[in-house]
Amino acid sequence: MATITIVDPVTRIEGHMKVQVTIDTVDNVQQVTDAQCSGTQFRGFELILQGRDPLDAPYLTERICGVCPVSHGMASTKALESAAGLTIPTDARILRNLVLGSNFIASHILHFYLLASLDYVAPPPSAPWTSCWNVDMRDPTSLSQIAVNFVTAVTMRREAQEMAAIFGGRMPSPPAFQAGGFTTKPTSSMISAFTSYLNNLITFINNNYIPDVQLLQSIYPDYSSIGKGPGNLLSYGVFDLDDTGSPDKLLDRGYIFDSMPGNVQPVSIDNIKEHVTYSWYDDSTNNQNPANGSTVIVDPSTKTNAYSWLKAPRYHGKPMECGPLARMWINGDYSNGISVMDRHMARALEALKIGNAMNQWLGELSTGGNVFSTFNTPYDASGAGLTEAPRGALGHWVSTTVDGSSPVSGPAIDNYQVLTPTCWNASPKDSRGNRGPMERALIGTAVSDPEQPIEVLRVIHSFDPCLSCAVHVMRPEGKPVVVVNAGVRP
Amino acid sequence: MKVTRREFMKYCTLSAAALGLTSALGPLERVLANPGSPPILWLKGAGCTGCTVSLANLISGSAPVDVADLLINTIDLEYHPTLMGAAGDASTQIINDVSAGTFILVVEGAIPKKFNGTTCTIYEQDGIPVTALSAVQTLAPLAAHVLSVGTCASFGGIAGASPNPTIAKAVSDITNVDPYNIEPINIPGCPPHPDWIVWTIANLLAENPIDLDVYNRPTALYGATVHSQCSRQTAPRANSLNDTGCCTNSLGCKGRMTFADCPTRKWNNGVNWCVGTIGPDGNGADSLCQGCTENGFPDEFAPLFSTMAVAPMHDGFEPQNHCLGCHHGPEGGFED
Repeated sequence: MATITIVDPVTRIEGHMKVQVTIDTVDNVQQVTDAQCSGTQFRGFELILQGRDPLDAPYLTERICGVCPVSHGMASTKALESAAGLTIPTDARILRNLVLGSNFIASHILHFYLLASLDYVAPPPSAPWTSCWNVDMRDPTSLSQIAVNFVTAVTMRREAQEMAAIFGGRMPSPPAFQAGGFTTKPTSSMISAFTSYLNNLITFINNNYIPDVQLLQSIYPDYSSIGKGPGNLLSYGVFDLDDTGSPDKLLDRGYIFDSMPGNVQPVSIDNIKEHVTYSWYDDSTNNQNPANGSTVIVDPSTKTNAYSWLKAPRYHGKPMECGPLARMWINGDYSNGISVMDRHMARALEALKIGNAMNQWLGELSTGGNVFSTFNTPYDASGAGLTEAPRGALGHWVSTTVDGSSPVSGPAIDNYQVLTPTCWNASPKDSRGNRGPMERALIGTAVSDPEQPIEVLRVIHSFDPCLSCAVHVMRPEGKPVVVVNAGVRP
Repeated sequence: MKVTRREFMKYCTLSAAALGLTSALGPLERVLANPGSPPILWLKGAGCTGCTVSLANLISGSAPVDVADLLINTIDLEYHPTLMGAAGDASTQIINDVSAGTFILVVEGAIPKKFNGTTCTIYEQDGIPVTALSAVQTLAPLAAHVLSVGTCASFGGIAGASPNPTIAKAVSDITNVDPYNIEPINIPGCPPHPDWIVWTIANLLAENPIDLDVYNRPTALYGATVHSQCSRQTAPRANSLNDTGCCTNSLGCKGRMTFADCPTRKWNNGVNWCVGTIGPDGNGADSLCQGCTENGFPDEFAPLFSTMAVAPMHDGFEPQNHCLGCHHGPEGGFED
């Protein structure tokens, strides 16, 4: 008999989220047989942006997420500059990359130690770490190394934020990202302070972060085959390396289906469609491309088959996983496999790759150079800003008005759409009933104790979901049920 | 805390020794120094987690020296959805347990009222989804103090920006009406500086009186405008964001109507702040203050990168003597 388990909230993620799992015994293994992921927060940024001055978009959209604000600043400025056909100065491109890279490193360290590691390593018995499930905690003696590094990681992620603020202005939500370029003018003392932070962080990643993930992988080898998901990977690519219209990137753009190494295909944004059949949006907005998408919310109580505030983006109709593993795979840097542990490993290796690249970019940065090009917002123009957040593919789409309209004397924002990485990863079912990547990754995961499904948390956390609140594990048909014991437990 | 002092010290000693921090054991002695301090429940409404990220950037020369010191040695943060260990029913049980006694309620994020609050569901209890709205209505009356952290919780902020699609409200809009009649202390900022959050909590724990302005902000933190503390008051006016070391009032800087101590406190271990301090090693960010600690942010300050926004002179904002150094009007009065 099936057991339906609710974990609400699932903590140690960014955002409000809810997942419902059905647990049943199949082939003598108690496992997840159904899963629903729900984003339980809607703020309506796309509606808030309409009619505003396009120049305000980077500043406002950075506030979509306090953990990855730099990615939103990057996507928004790129969208505006693509609408205007403007190329920013070389030093501005490098400065943006350095601040974004700092944000990636801070986020990856935060994720592994503060958010994910407590699923494997018992935390100190003190608030805010009381009442953990502490199920299936293996070899605490060996893993105490991770508990000790937890304290260092708190310092390291803070220092990565300070590093970002040297050029970004402050963290989170740096004010230096502007359409047309960057505001901070680098000096040699800023560069040397940045370098000093960066070298410390690279040392920590090399000596602690990567070895800690390897240790975890060796003690939990089964998690190198748990939580695969659909095996379809997508990356928009990130960290432009030149100033051409289609720049080389440190991490390439591309997609693959069915995890076929060496079969990376070019991305065409026209192939992205967002489904809303199981989301609290009007069905008339189903199957739209984000470039001309619309956001029409409905009262959840009137659309009872829906279960999420997230739309369900699909590429060529397929659910796509995005994030460090997808980026590293598509770039040819990682091909070990797709699983919970592979996601952690790819994230750690990516932190090192980015850190090393940043060291090189610092050497390319000049002082006293131009960091800003005059930006004139065009009328009746549209643009896309595609980049990556630490947790995956991020796109902003903007179009401007034909005429000036109040309160802006020039062109205003006519339409703005944002498609976040967690929308891809934690998406609900699409209109054909296909599950999202995280839902798919949960199916088949063996669960030893339905009352404390630590395995479910481990799969969810491996994606580093960011919905700005929590994951709720709830039941089929949305029926409110407490944890049900259906006789499967001894 | 649900741990004996002996157990906790054993853990800390082990960690500190392994870190080579044996000499740092002094501060650890503060553990449970005041076991009677009320625990803290930190709820998240409609927000971006940026206030929490900012809190995690805490760094100080005196205790608590960083967020680890804060969490381990200083405060008893029982519930925080991003930082806590527990999940699901085990985590919401903590809310039940803590709210039965004396506690401090901290809210990050605005409180949406659209669709009966269901655009922000934050946990389930006894199988019933609980919205941020109902959580605040239930817990605020039980709390010894209510703190609104960040501009969304304090004033509606970004979540409540026009056309306010989710009818997102400040916590005070929910609690300062019958039958609650509770006025939270506001610690605005988008995000707030970590020092502002910790200063306020520390003074509450110490039971010190906190002087508040008309917007319920601590005057010790929000007592003067950004402009009045800015190193650029007499600098030439900027013509574009490409200029450096200039006053950006001409580009739409909101420092004159924004109360905060960013220019003197600075951000991220003092490395920078939004406008930036003119100095021999560079001029910092060279960007604009956008009024993020103010009631009315962002709408009353938009368009942000323009002087078109006619931000009101807020209650409590009076030209001060030092303003006249730069703002001589024709009859000796105040003028831009």
